[in-house]
Amino acid sequence: MADEERDVLIVGAGAAGGAMAWSLSRRKVDVVCLEQGDWVPPAMLPKNHLDWEVRARRSWSPSPNIRQWPSDYPVASYGDDPISVFIYNAVGGSTIGYAGNFWRFAPSDFRVRSLDGVGVDWPIGYEEMAPYYTINEREMGVAGLAGDPWSPSREPLPLPPAPLGPHGRLMIDACERLGWQWWPTEQAIATRPYDGRPACDLKGFCPFGCPQGALATVDVTYWRKALKSARNGVDLRTNARVREITLHPDGRAKGALYYDGEGRLQEVRAKVVVVAAGGLGTPRVLLHSTSARHPDGLANSSGMVGKNLMVHVQTFAIGRFAQPLQGWQGTWGGAVSTRQFYETDPANDFVRGFVLSINPGWSPLNLALQVAPWGAEHHAAMDAHLNHEATLFCCGEDLPDSRNRVELDWDSLDAHGLPGVKTFYAFDDNSTKLGAAMIGRARELLDAAGAVSVRDFGVSPPLGWHLMGTARMGDDPATSVTDADNRVHDVPNLFIADSSSLPTGGGVNPTSTIQAVALRCAERIWEMRGELG
Amino acid sequence: MAYDWRKEEYEVTRPGRTRIDYRQEIGRAHVPIGVERGFTVVDAERAETLRAWVSALIPAAGERPAAEEVGAAEYIDATVFLTPRLRGVLLDAVDAVDRIASEMVGERFAVTGPAEQEAVLRAFEANDPLDAFPMVRDLTYEAYYAHPRVLEVLERETGWRYEIAISGGELEPLDEHLLARMREVPARYRKV
Repeated sequence: MADEERDVLIVGAGAAGGAMAWSLSRRKVDVVCLEQGDWVPPAMLPKNHLDWEVRARRSWSPSPNIRQWPSDYPVASYGDDPISVFIYNAVGGSTIGYAGNFWRFAPSDFRVRSLDGVGVDWPIGYEEMAPYYTINEREMGVAGLAGDPWSPSREPLPLPPAPLGPHGRLMIDACERLGWQWWPTEQAIATRPYDGRPACDLKGFCPFGCPQGALATVDVTYWRKALKSARNGVDLRTNARVREITLHPDGRAKGALYYDGEGRLQEVRAKVVVVAAGGLGTPRVLLHSTSARHPDGLANSSGMVGKNLMVHVQTFAIGRFAQPLQGWQGTWGGAVSTRQFYETDPANDFVRGFVLSINPGWSPLNLALQVAPWGAEHHAAMDAHLNHEATLFCCGEDLPDSRNRVELDWDSLDAHGLPGVKTFYAFDDNSTKLGAAMIGRARELLDAAGAVSVRDFGVSPPLGWHLMGTARMGDDPATSVTDADNRVHDVPNLFIADSSSLPTGGGVNPTSTIQAVALRCAERIWEMRGELG
Repeated sequence: MAYDWRKEEYEVTRPGRTRIDYRQEIGRAHVPIGVERGFTVVDAERAETLRAWVSALIPAAGERPAAEEVGAAEYIDATVFLTPRLRGVLLDAVDAVDRIASEMVGERFAVTGPAEQEAVLRAFEANDPLDAFPMVRDLTYEAYYAHPRVLEVLERETGWRYEIAISGGELEPLDEHLLARMREVPARYRKV
């Protein structure tokens, strides 16, 4: 059943797994990657079809409970603010349904305990992360401009920023009027032909599939290169659902048992094992990998596996304008953003902060479901809103809290009889106050832009796109799962590198940071190769 | 990325929920839009009621067709055909609407006037333990706003260019002169 022993096994082919596979394979490391999902064929992308809005609600729904792909596992949500979980299980992971907002964390994001007395500090800082951000921006193909005074100085980005569109100009004018900071948002979108990918042609509504591959989803960036980069490329096995990480008698990781596409149990062995299955998937695999040595789950001597789930405080605020706004096109990674309120302000009744990013308005079906009443007033409502809106994506920091967590759900099983997951989440007082302030500033901005009315979605139930913190890095084995190099405290050749690794989540979309952590971890594994065998 | 739900009505997955959640049921049911089809689940009499129901939700206005004209009722029928657990929900709902119409105005729903139809649907919406009303409403909206005939009218009347989302377009590149003020601002990020 088992193959020969490989150099590195990576569990998960998403944002982090893809980056690691590329980084290791270009050094001729023999890498095998197990991905429970499959490649997404073009015909599956909603945006390849006129009825893309309907497909986005069904087969492309970000909820695994709705779309029910064979690769999905059940996710249930509990707590005072139950999360609306949005994940994709496929090659590329959840990037296949993201919008490409591609922020670096700010230096302060790595030091929230030291600076603000909340959360935890990262065991590494911005300066250590910066080189990996740069590599990642080059490999993913990130569009934007260096020079933002709200960020440390940095190298030029590989691609020019995306066009603003009328909505972007509205936001700039409003920020200028208010004296607020603004800057073109960094987006993982090829604004020119780049690295074999064509330029973005502004079809818009990016999370519903980018037919030409201008959006830097990991299946068209790292994976395309990882499969070619080594002598034989990475051995990427799709439809491979990991049941458990296995151990040698001495406690070192041995490999993994997994179900293949036909449901047969298979084993793969490796000198080094990396779990990169995401904020829910990683604790799911670890908690299910129990043994006499690890009765509470692998890597869990601290009890922190599955704990400290963070999701960000997120919402949308939508301004309605008198003039038409060409809402049918433009990127959805936020043409322009403001970090005016990103850092802690002693005048606030909360710590940490948020970003506001402008996007076009909603498409007809989405809009109708949001605002158009049934009956005689239906068409008038559509006329008032369609093509007259701009949308502010609002994202702020929530802080780690051990009560917010992921557990195995033995009442809901996947197709292989493995448990689903339960999430438990509630906003704390800081997040509640931050959310209220964030919405207030969003409304202020849209008012300054000339909106005739503003609506917002509120912050609960939380939008579960950014699932972080459930196997965090740290210096103290009693309060963290891995060390600063992403090596599990309990198992010397087991690493965890993905969104679950983030001790705190900043107040911005985390993909860029997740991948920078993964690239740094891959380099550490390379540097430790003598020790690791 | 679900932009489409109404926040105030949204419920995340809750194990033990006894009602059938139509949003979860329809995830694997793809029904092409703009295709001529008949009814499979509902019989002729119920089909008449369902047609009237969807057109009460989205009535005709100017060039914009009523929902029944773009096959919304048949689309709903085809969706529940693919999701057997929802068939009973739909059939019960259609029967309930006709029963309420009979009680309120003494006629079948399909033959009453617009004001009476609205009153009947509001009564049903207010007492709908199976979530049938939002199911029919949402599926009607799907069938309507993905139909080429409707999208073409919307483009003429609102300027919404639906084909750009499929075929692509162009926008002016960023004018970096706009950044003049920002470039003069000293470094403002928080030093660590």
